[in-house]
Amino acid sequence: MFSDVEMVVFMEELEEKIQSINDNVLLLEKYGGSPEVIQEIFRAAHTIKGSSAVMGFEKMAGLTHEIENIFDRLRQGTMQVNTFLVDILFEALDKLKMLKDEITRGADDVQVENILLKLRSIQAAGGAEVPAGREADGGAGLVLSTETPDQLDDVVMATVREAEVRGFQAFWVFVAIDSGCQMKNVRAFLIFETLQQTGEIIHSNPPAEEIQDGKYDQGFSLVFITKEDMGQVKNLLMSIAEVNTVEIVQLDSREVNGFQEESDEDGREEAKNDGVQRAAAGGADKTTIKTVRVDVQKLDTLMNLVSELVIDRTRLDRFVDVFESKYGSDDLVENIVEISNHLGQITTDLQDEIMKARMLPVATVFNRLPRMVRDIAQKLGKEIDFVVEGKETELDRNVIEVIGDPLIHLIRNAIDHGIESPEERRRLGKPGKGRVVLKASYVESHIVITLTDDGRGMELEKIKKKALERGVVRPDVLARMSEREAMDLIFMPGFSTAEEVSDVSGRGVGMDIVKSQIEQINGTVEYSSEVGRGTIFQIKLPLTLVIIRALMVGMGDQVYAFPLSNVMETLAIKESDIKIIRHSEVIVVRGSVLPLLRLANLFQIDSERGNGKLYVVVLGSGNRRVGVVVDRLIGEQEIVIKSLGRYLGQMTGLSGATILGDGRVALIIDAKGIVKDAGKEELAYAN
Amino acid sequence: MFKPGGGSSEEKVVVFNLRDQVYGIDIDSVLEIIRMESVTSVPGTREFIEGVINLRGKVIPIMDLSKRLNMPPCRVSESSRVIIVEAGGVTVGMIVDSVSEVLRIPVSAIQPPPAMIAESSVKAINGIALVDERLVILIDPGKVLYEEERDELAKIGV
Repeated sequence: MFSDVEMVVFMEELEEKIQSINDNVLLLEKYGGSPEVIQEIFRAAHTIKGSSAVMGFEKMAGLTHEIENIFDRLRQGTMQVNTFLVDILFEALDKLKMLKDEITRGADDVQVENILLKLRSIQAAGGAEVPAGREADGGAGLVLSTETPDQLDDVVMATVREAEVRGFQAFWVFVAIDSGCQMKNVRAFLIFETLQQTGEIIHSNPPAEEIQDGKYDQGFSLVFITKEDMGQVKNLLMSIAEVNTVEIVQLDSREVNGFQEESDEDGREEAKNDGVQRAAAGGADKTTIKTVRVDVQKLDTLMNLVSELVIDRTRLDRFVDVFESKYGSDDLVENIVEISNHLGQITTDLQDEIMKARMLPVATVFNRLPRMVRDIAQKLGKEIDFVVEGKETELDRNVIEVIGDPLIHLIRNAIDHGIESPEERRRLGKPGKGRVVLKASYVESHIVITLTDDGRGMELEKIKKKALERGVVRPDVLARMSEREAMDLIFMPGFSTAEEVSDVSGRGVGMDIVKSQIEQINGTVEYSSEVGRGTIFQIKLPLTLVIIRALMVGMGDQVYAFPLSNVMETLAIKESDIKIIRHSEVIVVRGSVLPLLRLANLFQIDSERGNGKLYVVVLGSGNRRVGVVVDRLIGEQEIVIKSLGRYLGQMTGLSGATILGDGRVALIIDAKGIVKDAGKEELAYAN
Repeated sequence: MFKPGGGSSEEKVVVFNLRDQVYGIDIDSVLEIIRMESVTSVPGTREFIEGVINLRGKVIPIMDLSKRLNMPPCRVSESSRVIIVEAGGVTVGMIVDSVSEVLRIPVSAIQPPPAMIAESSVKAINGIALVDERLVILIDPGKVLYEEERDELAKIGV
């Protein structure tokens, strides 16, 4: 199910987030709970919860869920930080580390019940000191069993399927016995007897023999097949003395099935639904993963060195030519030619390999999702047909590392808020199964990830109402907003339309984070939604953060690079085409007015005014356009973005530098900034 | 002030010439010395910043040290060199007229700058050494890169 690569990514992320929680809890202890620290821990816990649930590590997901809950309370101020809380947090953190080790070892022997109980009771007490839970480590939890319905293995599910075909229903039953019970074996026997009168127990955890010998903690779980309904089963069980709690979940083999068919497409061996077994199947020995985590900066340095090699090789080539013409086909000359060619081959290969080292297929993220979709859908009682396309699309690893989180949020939202319940969908004349399509593809020099659902779409009025309720926007401001602006409120911090806190979505870790995470890596998030038809989110990302396609232009003796993503077109104009409107130069292009900006004026540099012929690079960002006048166009080229460093400070109009083939430095124009500034100027004149 | 480093009583200094005067800079902060090459000017930077160059794939800012020390701009010639220094985590090149040698200067030969210089706007000078009847003006790399900024920040009351 999950490949080694995915495990590595997961483990790396885990390591990082645990470290982050650790550091921040230390800060919490030292300086009390500043909002930033609390938010940081909350997010880290949230991330671990999400990814561990996806990977099937239920204990870890459960534990981080409780940590997240605590920080949510701290965030809202319904709980305060004190030493007792910090102690418990450290204990929880230790447990988290143990769970991580457990995954590495491929074992399943860490108990989390005790710490979960503590975390819950401190929440219940609002942070006040409580008696330290029940010390019996190893299963003091009341309704916690070592197995949950979605951990049942294939054999059990196959039996369930058969039973369903024969008209039986299958239930997962958890029975908790009074903690003071003296005759656990007798109670267990009675439970088994009672149930077997009306049906068949096909599975139990712990195994039936152990249960009947009384070898269980507070309770045990069973899978029970019967023709009775859920209520009757529950009544039967509750009628037995010393039975404390009965929890029943109806099992539906079809949903589990749908998921498995999906993942079988990979052609990989389907691991059991149990998380730990899966971990073991992912790689025979987790302790010997043969990868090294390399700082991307090191790759950058390598890349720089290789570019230098390329330049030197070009020089060597020139030297070889001189040599050849001077000495003819001498043996020595031939040797040099050979060396030069070989060097060229090696530098090219080296360059390719380093570039490849930075790229990963999006599958590393996408493969984690079907399982998550299935779990969420099951929790929410929705039926989802989840389609993934374009897994093989490759992306820079920095980009890959960032997109996981936002995607999970978007998918959760789509299932939680977008897709209606099966009944509602049928009533609306839609197929009962909601369709969610995740697709990655290359579009020019970008990768575009679209998430399409055929759910209810976003309703403007609902969004407005929520925004007001959450205090995201003032009523008078909202009244002045256009429809689109009002819709964009979904990207505001604190906006979340979930009615209640579920562990699926809706805590206000929402669209604002999605947007800022995507923008951090130079991406954009766009959406369109139609009420009743569904919503499409489109994330546009650069393939890599280091290489872009650019239009090179000349100004005097210097070369500048315009990122091609912002270049709409280029025009050749005459000086006489330029008109003046309100002190600004403009030209008319196909009937509409295009404001002009002279690069020479902007940068106060010399320009070769000569034959009256000018070139205009039309830049666009959003729906704004600006024409930039340059001396000459050189052509398109792939360039490696380099930082100008912090010593030079913030420069308007520039976003970085690149190194040309001849070793000179060319500056990269900040097209977005220029377009934005031009807009401001226009506005100033208009006023 | 040059601190006597590691118990030694000598400072190793790269000696260079700028507008007929002799300057020195602590060798520990010097990464390398290169020939002048084509500099790409960067608009909107401080006046003494000459532009950027490509140093083995890294883009490095270059300053005109002469301008930085409130003197007329440098005159680039065959002997001009760029001293690449690192201070405070940044790497910057300084254009100088020529580089002559590396000197060991006894700490005892180093004197604080005369009060007049110390209080002038040029705070980048942190000592003067008398070596073989020559006066070597010692430049503090950290201050030459940053001092002015601090002054500017102080002026606007940050």
